[in-house]
Amino acid sequence: MERRAFYRNGWLPWLLLAPQLILVLVFFYWPTSQALYWAFTLEQAWGGGNTWVGFDNFLAIFADNKYWATVGRSAFYAIAATGLSMAVALILAMFADRALSGTKLFQSVFVWPYAIAAPAAGVAFRFIFSPEAGLIGAVNQMWPGIWDPSTVGWHALAMVIICHAWLGIGYNFIFFLAALQMVPRSLSEAGAMDGARPFRRMLDLQLPLIAPTVFFLLIMNIISSFTDSFGLIDVMTEGGPIGATEVMVYKIYFDGFKGLDYSGAAAQSIVLMLLVISLTFVQFKWVERRVHYN
Amino acid sequence: MKSNLLLGAAMTVGAIALTSAPSMAATKFEFWYGLSGDLSERIQDMCKDFNASQADYEIVCVSQDNYESNLQNTIAAFRANKQPTIAQISDGGVVDLMLSGAYVPVRQLMEENGYKIDWSNYFSGIASYFSTSTGELLAMPFNNSTAVFYYNTDALKAVGFDGAPQTWEQVEDIARKLKAAGYECPIAFDPTGQWQWWEEFSAVHNQPIATKGNGFGGLDAEVAFNKGKFVDQLAWYKKMYDEGLLVNKSKAAGETANDSFVNAHCQMSSSSIADHGFIGKQAKEGMHWDVTMLPVWEGTERTNSFVGGAALWTLKGKSAEEYKGAAAFYNFIATPKQAEWWSTVTGYIPVTNTGYQAMVDKGFYSAAPYKGRELAIKSLTFTPPTEYTRGVRLGNFGAVRKEVQDAIQAVLFENKPVQQALDEAAERSNAILRKFEKTYPGATLP
Amino acid sequence: MIERSPFFDFVSYAAMVIGLVLVLIPFWVVIVAGSQSLQEVARVPFSMLPSNHLMENIQAAWARADLGPKLINSFIVAAGVTIGKITLAAFSAFAIVFFNFRARMICFWAIFITLMLPLEVRIVPTYSIAANALLPFQVLLDTLGITWLVQSVSGVQIALNWNLLNSYTGLILPLIATATGTFLYRQFFMTIPDELVEASKMDGSGPMGFFWDVLIPLSRTNMLALATIMFVSSWNQYLWPLLVTTDRANFGTVVMQLKALIPAQNGTPDWNVTMAGALIIMLPPLLVVALMQRWFVRGLISRDK
Repeated sequence: MERRAFYRNGWLPWLLLAPQLILVLVFFYWPTSQALYWAFTLEQAWGGGNTWVGFDNFLAIFADNKYWATVGRSAFYAIAATGLSMAVALILAMFADRALSGTKLFQSVFVWPYAIAAPAAGVAFRFIFSPEAGLIGAVNQMWPGIWDPSTVGWHALAMVIICHAWLGIGYNFIFFLAALQMVPRSLSEAGAMDGARPFRRMLDLQLPLIAPTVFFLLIMNIISSFTDSFGLIDVMTEGGPIGATEVMVYKIYFDGFKGLDYSGAAAQSIVLMLLVISLTFVQFKWVERRVHYN
Repeated sequence: MKSNLLLGAAMTVGAIALTSAPSMAATKFEFWYGLSGDLSERIQDMCKDFNASQADYEIVCVSQDNYESNLQNTIAAFRANKQPTIAQISDGGVVDLMLSGAYVPVRQLMEENGYKIDWSNYFSGIASYFSTSTGELLAMPFNNSTAVFYYNTDALKAVGFDGAPQTWEQVEDIARKLKAAGYECPIAFDPTGQWQWWEEFSAVHNQPIATKGNGFGGLDAEVAFNKGKFVDQLAWYKKMYDEGLLVNKSKAAGETANDSFVNAHCQMSSSSIADHGFIGKQAKEGMHWDVTMLPVWEGTERTNSFVGGAALWTLKGKSAEEYKGAAAFYNFIATPKQAEWWSTVTGYIPVTNTGYQAMVDKGFYSAAPYKGRELAIKSLTFTPPTEYTRGVRLGNFGAVRKEVQDAIQAVLFENKPVQQALDEAAERSNAILRKFEKTYPGATLP
Repeated sequence: MIERSPFFDFVSYAAMVIGLVLVLIPFWVVIVAGSQSLQEVARVPFSMLPSNHLMENIQAAWARADLGPKLINSFIVAAGVTIGKITLAAFSAFAIVFFNFRARMICFWAIFITLMLPLEVRIVPTYSIAANALLPFQVLLDTLGITWLVQSVSGVQIALNWNLLNSYTGLILPLIATATGTFLYRQFFMTIPDELVEASKMDGSGPMGFFWDVLIPLSRTNMLALATIMFVSSWNQYLWPLLVTTDRANFGTVVMQLKALIPAQNGTPDWNVTMAGALIIMLPPLLVVALMQRWFVRGLISRDK
C-alpha cells in the first residue's frame, strides 16, 4: 500500500534506527567481513597471526570430495525433511480446513512441535530410535541388528530427518491452514455444484490456490534445514557415524571449533551464506510478486 | 553549611580509604580442566585442599566437561584476554599451543618463582610428550595414563587359558575358543578407540605414526599409518569383526566397551589404565578380571607405549601474582602425599620415579584394588623412548585422528578395503598437516 | 463442509487422529519414560504406560543438570530478548515506515538482509565478536587516525573492550539484533491508513506523540504475537549460548543442558532421568505456545506474509 503521509524530521529517524543499526553492524556486518578475511587467510588457532592465501581455502574445500558429499547430504536432508514435513502438515491442514466439529482441539495440538527446541526433540527421538532401548529395541529383539544408527549411516540419517520433519509440522500446519481458509468458499461451492467430490476439490482447486504459500514454506523449510539441524545433530549423532549425518553447518562447527581450522570453517561459512542469501532472495522476490498479483 | 558538607565528604572518603586498605586478600587464579563426573569431583577436592593448605593464593577450578570443549573455550577466552592461568590441555591439542607461544614453559615458571624441581625425576616416557625436542619440560604432567588390556579371568579359565594373554595370537585363539563356548562377545571394540587400537599399537611395536620422528623433527612430517604393521593390524581387526570375535561396543550401539566389560557381556577389552578404578568399582558381583600390557605379535621387540591424558599448561598474559599462585599449585600437587592421593582415588598413574617408588614401597600395588596399575608404568617405561615412541607431535592432530577413526570404521562397518581406506586417510591427513604448516610459516617446533 | 459425506468425514477424522498420534508420540514417550524407574525404562519392549517415578526422576535430572540456575538464566535471557526485541523493532519499523528520508531504503535493506543470515551460518566470525564487541569501533577509530590523535594529544590510549563472553548482555544482545520483529511491525504499520497520521498531525502532535498515542495501542496484539514468538525462539536457542559461555555453571541456559542429561559414557543408561529433564526443559515454551496460540499464530502469519 502506498503511503503518502510522512513525517519529515531530520534526525529523529536516525535516533530511532540507531540501536538496531548499531547492533546489526556489530553482530552481522562486522562478523561477516571478518569471516571474509579469515576465509582468504590462514588463521592461527590461538590468534597469533595469519597468512594471506587468496582463494586457496575455497579451492581446497571445492577439491575435497568429502565437502561435496556434505553438500549433497545437506541437499538430501533439506529435500527429505521439507517434503515429509510439508506433506504431513498439508494433509492435516486440508482435513482441518473442513472444520468438522472438534477440529479446534486437533488444531491446537498440531501446533505444539513448534514450541519444542530442536535439541529437546533430538533427545526424545534418540531414545525412541535407540537400538537397545525403548521402542525400536523391541524390533531389534525380533530381528537382531536390523536397526543400528550407530554403524549404519543411512539409519542415522533417517532418524535425524524424521525428527527434523516432526519439528516442522507445527509451523507448516499454521500456514497451510491459514492459506486454505483464505480460499473463498464460493469457489468450493461452485466446484461442488459442478459435481466435484471433496477429494477432487482438494486436488484441483485448493492446491493450486495455495501455491504461493507452498512456495514460501518450501523456502522457509529449506533454510530451516540448514540452521535448526545443528542442535538436532549435535544432540543425536554428532555428525556420525563416519560423517553420515554431517551437514554443512555441522561441518563448519566441527572443522572450526573441534578441528581448530578457523580458515576452512570461514570459507565454508561464506559458501553457506551465499547459498542461504540466494534462497531467501528468490523467496522474497517471487513471493512478493505473487502476493501482489493475487 | 558547605564546610559541613565538605567535612562529611572528607570523613566518608577517609572511612572508605581505611576500610579498603589493602588487606591480605588471597590472589585468585583460575584453572580450567576437561574432566567430568567422578574425576571432576576429585579435582574439586584437590583444589579445596590446596586452598586450605595456604592463605596466599586461591585457586578456582572450573570444569569444561571434556577436553575438546576445554580447548575450545580456553582459546575463546584467550582471544578475549580472559584466559585462565592454568589449562589442562590433552596430547591432541598441544602443537597448536606450542607454536602459538601462548604459554609459559613450566620449567621457567618454577625457576622464576624459586622452586627447585628435579626434572629428571619425571618418567621420560611421560615427559617427552610435553617437552621440547631437547627434553625440557614445557607443561606439568598431571593426569596421565596409557593403554592396557583388560580380560575376564573366569571366562579365560573356562576355555582353558591361564594367566595373562601376551600376544595377539593368544588373544585370537582365546577369542575363537570363547565364541565356540557360547560367549557372545569375546572382545569389545570401541569404534572411537583409535588411541588404543592404532596409536598405542604402533607405539609398542615401534611403528611410526609419522615421519620425522612422529613430527618432532619438523612441521613437514608426513603420516605413516598406511604403511607398516598397522595395515595388517587393521586387516586383522576386520577379519575378527567379520567372524564376530571383535564386537562393536559404543554408546550409540547401546553399551560402551567398558560397560560391556563390567557387565561381563564382553570378556576382553582395551582402554586406558585410568578406567582401572571404574572397572574395579562397577564390575559385576563375583566377576574376576585382571589387566595386562597391550598384546604384541609374537617375536616383536616390545617398546614403550605412549602416555595418554593431559598436562597442565600455564598460559601467557596473567599477572606475576597469579603465576606465583600457579607455581605454588604445581608444587602442591607434586608433593608425595598429593601424588599418592591422586593415584589412589583415580586410575591415573604417578608421574615421577620417586613417587612411583614410594607407592611400591608402601605396598600400594601389592593388592586389590590397585594391583595391576603398576603394569601401566611398566608399559610406559618398558624401553627408553625411541624415535617413534617419544610421543606424537603433529599439528591439528585431532583432525588426523578423526581421519584414522573414520578409516577404521569404514573398514569395519562399510567393508572398505583396508589399504584403500588407509591411503585415503593418509592423503587427507597429509593435506591437513600441510595446511597446518602453511598456517605457521617459518615456525619451528620447540 | 459443503455437502454431507459421512464416509469422507470418517476419513477426515481418521486422518486427523493419525496426525494427532504422530505429533503426540514424542511428548507421550517423554512423559512416560520420565515417569518410569531405571529397570522399567530399560525394558524391551518399552511399556507405553506411565509409572510413578516422575518426581524422583525430575529431582535426579534437576541435580545432574543443575537445572535450577539454568532455568533462571533461560528466563532472564528469554525475557530480555522479548522485551528488547519488542521495543527495538517498534522504533526501527516506525522510522522506516513513517519517515521519508533519503537513506530510508538503504536502512531497510541493511536490516532486512540480516534475515538471510541466521546465526548458524555466521558462527565462526560472530564468535570473535563475542570476545570484543567494540572491536569494529576500535578499528574504525584506528583507521581514521583518531586513536593516534587522542594518544599524542592527551596521552590517553583508547582501547575499547567490551567482552560478551559469560554475560547476560552477550546472551541477549545478538538475539535482539535480528530483523524478525522489525519485519512484523513493518507489515503491520504499512496497513495503518494515512488518515490516522493526518489526524494526528492536525491535532498538533509530533511523530513521537503519534507513536505513543496511536501506533502502540493499535499494535498491542502484534506485540503480544511477537512476544510469544520471541520467547519461544530465544528459550530454544542452542548454538549461540553454547559458544558464548565458557562458564557454564553460572551462565548456561537450560537447553544447553540437554546433552549433559544424555546417559553418560561409562554410566548407566538412565534414560528415565534424561526424559524427566527434557520434560522440564520443554515445558515453558510449550505452555506459551499452547496457551497463547491465537496470538502467536496470528503473529507468524502476518509477519511472514
